[in-house]
Amino acid sequence: PSRASSSLSLQAEVFQALQRLHMTIFSQSVSPCGKFLAAGNNYGQIAIFSLSAALSSEAKEESKKPVVTFQAHDGPVYSMVSTDRHLLSAGDGEVKAWLWVEMLKKGCKELWCRQPPYRTSLEVPEINALLLVPKENSLILAGGDCQLHTMDLETGTFTRVLRGHTDYIHCLALRERSPEVLSGGEDGAVRLWDLRTAKEVQTIEVYKHEECSRPHNGRWIGCLATDSDWMVCGGGPALTLWHLRSSTPTTIFPMRAPQKHVTFYQDLILSAGQGRCVNQWQLSGELKAQVPGSSPGLLSLSLNQQPAAPECKVLTAAGNSCRVDVFTNLGYRAFSLSF
Amino acid sequence: MPPVLKPTTTPVGTTMSSESSKKRKPKVIRSDGAPPEGKRNRSDTEQEGKYYSEEAEMDLRDPGRDYELYKYTCQELQRLMAEIQDLKSRGGKDVAIEIEERRIQSCVHFMTLKKLNRLAHIRLKKGRDQTHEAKQKVDAYHLQLQNLLYEVMHLQKEITKCLEFKSKHEEIDLVSLEEFYEEAPPDISKAEVTMGDPHQQTLARLDWELEQRKRLAEKYCECLSNKEKILKEIEVKKEYLSSLQPRLNSIMQASLPVQEYLFMPFDQAHKQYETARHLPPPLYVLFVQATAYGQACAHMKSSSQPPRQDKTLSVAIEGSVDEAKALFKPPEDSQDDESDSDAEEEQTTKRRRPTLGVQLDDKRKEMLKRHPLSVMLDLKCKDDSVLHLTFFYLMNLNIMTVKAKVTTATELITPISAGDLLSPDSVLSCLYPGDHGKKTPNPANQYQFDKVGILTLSDYVLELGHPYLWVQKLGGLHFPKEQPQQTVIADHSLSASHMETTMKLLKTRVQSRLALHKQFASLEHGIVPVTSDCQYLFPAKVVSRLVKWVTVAHEDYMELHFTKDIVDAGLAGDTNLYYMALVERGTAKLQAAVVLNPGYSSIPPIFQLCLNWKGEKTNSNDDNIRAMESEVNVCYKELCGPWPSHQLLTNQLQRLCVLLDVYLETESHDDSVEGPKEFPQEKMCLRLFRGPSRMKPFKYNHPQGFFSHR
Repeated sequence: PSRASSSLSLQAEVFQALQRLHMTIFSQSVSPCGKFLAAGNNYGQIAIFSLSAALSSEAKEESKKPVVTFQAHDGPVYSMVSTDRHLLSAGDGEVKAWLWVEMLKKGCKELWCRQPPYRTSLEVPEINALLLVPKENSLILAGGDCQLHTMDLETGTFTRVLRGHTDYIHCLALRERSPEVLSGGEDGAVRLWDLRTAKEVQTIEVYKHEECSRPHNGRWIGCLATDSDWMVCGGGPALTLWHLRSSTPTTIFPMRAPQKHVTFYQDLILSAGQGRCVNQWQLSGELKAQVPGSSPGLLSLSLNQQPAAPECKVLTAAGNSCRVDVFTNLGYRAFSLSF
Repeated sequence: MPPVLKPTTTPVGTTMSSESSKKRKPKVIRSDGAPPEGKRNRSDTEQEGKYYSEEAEMDLRDPGRDYELYKYTCQELQRLMAEIQDLKSRGGKDVAIEIEERRIQSCVHFMTLKKLNRLAHIRLKKGRDQTHEAKQKVDAYHLQLQNLLYEVMHLQKEITKCLEFKSKHEEIDLVSLEEFYEEAPPDISKAEVTMGDPHQQTLARLDWELEQRKRLAEKYCECLSNKEKILKEIEVKKEYLSSLQPRLNSIMQASLPVQEYLFMPFDQAHKQYETARHLPPPLYVLFVQATAYGQACAHMKSSSQPPRQDKTLSVAIEGSVDEAKALFKPPEDSQDDESDSDAEEEQTTKRRRPTLGVQLDDKRKEMLKRHPLSVMLDLKCKDDSVLHLTFFYLMNLNIMTVKAKVTTATELITPISAGDLLSPDSVLSCLYPGDHGKKTPNPANQYQFDKVGILTLSDYVLELGHPYLWVQKLGGLHFPKEQPQQTVIADHSLSASHMETTMKLLKTRVQSRLALHKQFASLEHGIVPVTSDCQYLFPAKVVSRLVKWVTVAHEDYMELHFTKDIVDAGLAGDTNLYYMALVERGTAKLQAAVVLNPGYSSIPPIFQLCLNWKGEKTNSNDDNIRAMESEVNVCYKELCGPWPSHQLLTNQLQRLCVLLDVYLETESHDDSVEGPKEFPQEKMCLRLFRGPSRMKPFKYNHPQGFFSHR
């Protein structure tokens, strides 16, 4: 019997190795205390890593492994955000809330689970992006059904639907000052929505601008970020910095590979996508640095800027591997957390 | 007033004069006193009474008074001298008379002084004598005292010696006190006497010890005689048994025709058992256990059918019995064969010194020598293919090896790529995980190899057979890694516990290899054979075609640029089989590097892809290629088909064709390029892309026939 089980265990071992080999980490989110990092993969698992343990001077190999891993969704975990108490995760069709305090224990159950009102369809649309709007304590969900749904976090009801995209939505970004939301999608358009009127106020069809269009890559917008009047977006078309009021592209960043995540950081723009590197750009379009990571392709970047944990101020990057790369300063990869 | 003599006064005064007179006096005494003394000495005691004895007189006189007398006499003399002087100075005639008178008086006084002087001398002498006498006495006493002290010391020494004396009884291990009082009879223990007196107690305990020892000695003698008796009995019984053998033989002979008549091959089996007696222990264990297992299987099946018609497992012994017998005739020789042969060989090196190589070769041959007997196991599978296993025993290495051969009912056309599938070298590789049968399982062997310059056993396995771990287990040999033991003994229970699982694994292995063998034949012709019960997994129309299926060497696989992940993950060991498939559709060519684990089909084949179409696409630069790999590698369980899932590989290949179709048909059309799409979309898809990594709909939904995202 021990022999039979040993061949079974080999089978399980090989299966596990293959699963790890084909793992994709879609989303990350830092806990409100700044000491933990949640990462969601394509198998619907969420792993909680302890950044403080991994960054401490007596960190061992084990502290780079998850503190706890649990099955959160049936499908992939495409997006996660953290409020001051909850972790919100979204995958195929539903968003779930988890208490950060509870999650570190084993056998954690979700606090609640909501599904946006979908028109009946053969398949359940996925949720690709979550966005917190702190001013009105609401959550915006967007994804496979080409609409933005607003959910009131107080009551858990869906209050608004913003329609306009003709294909599924990849990404969302919030303009800090005015209650406006930007969304970018597979249809190649970045749309600007006014939350007060629930109307589309501006549309930028990026692929139509010759400077940044790259038809062989497609027209989809995979990532966007905004800072006052400026917006940076990328995907099929080249990574481009836009001036929103005038709707003109100001800087086109010379990066061939499609970008999947972009963010403003101080006076830099950080972007990642196909390829091993995290790219750092000057606003003028100069490539300041390319820092190689351990994954062949990156899907998400996360800057831990929680004031509660200044010692855990790191940049983490994850994508087409079971590893989350940790950059203690922007210059180089210190180590990788691993599922 | 002077008591005796009237002092005549002539002062003789000064001490000087008295001293000078003293000096003179002894002479006087001697000259005067010697004659009377001599007289007295001569005449001795008889004259004592008669003669005057000054010594006696001295005893009577008081020395104090003598002293007074002396002083008085001296004064008188001084006075007389002064008077004389006075008279002389006055002068006259009558003076002379007076002087004369005074002179007479002085003479008397001198006489007195003389007498006193003598007395003093005698006293002195007497005093000296007395002192001497006393001193001698004291000396005698002192001597006595010293003698006594010495005696005391000696006695003390004797006492300490006695106290330190070690008695022999202290070394005797006695029973404890409680036990002694409990067990010893009262006439020995004498509790009332011995309780208070440790000396008596010890004596009693010693008595008891002696008593007990006497009893034990008696018992020992008794046992010896008993043993003697039993030995004799055994002797008698042995004699009886040996006389029984010829009788039984004759009965056997007589029964042969009956056996033949009744079709009961007892004798044949008996002969085999007879041969089996000459097997080395591990092969014997294997033989017995395999036979037992074979019989058990036959019994389970034969409840309704006639027995021994479809025996799935048959066991036989091959080789020369005589050689085996010759090997064991001088049992001492064969046992310490190694050390002897070493010594011998050392001798021979001295005698003849031929080339060192030949000599080493001989040594190696000797070390790798097989036992002349081997056990043949024929395992029959359902489709009448047979796995022939021949088990050998390497006597000097104490390990077992196996050679395997597969025969099928119908002649097989061997496809080129299936070369390794049924080769004796690899057909049983990794039957259990990690058991590739190239290294010796006996840790002691390595040292033996070092001696004769064998690097590894793997250079010899083709000739000797593979020393798989399960083979050792079937022979009951176990070589624990943690606690190496001196001698490894063949163990029946170990063999029995592994027999059934191993036989089942062997059967599945042969069947899955045969299934692969057949599948490879059609794969080489570009046909992916999909059985009817797996048809539902794929759409009816699949355009992509398999055009090539070849085997690749392990080294070549390792060098491919798109297999790095698998190599890094440690999934590309050298015991696996490696293949390269090429799937084509139009201008698109999809290369698939396949790792086939020897444990197929419980361990799935692993695919790594590289698509050549509009540039080279692998999992590192195209998420959808990565997704395709995961479709065949991770989601393989839905492709297994009916148990024992022999269709897994072909189903994976067929899915690969479908995936390529989907990949090509859903590729977004580049608006800037003129002309129609190369691959028009024929597959029904709900959506083209989904999620952040823009996945294509690779999942086929069976009855409806559309594709969706996983």
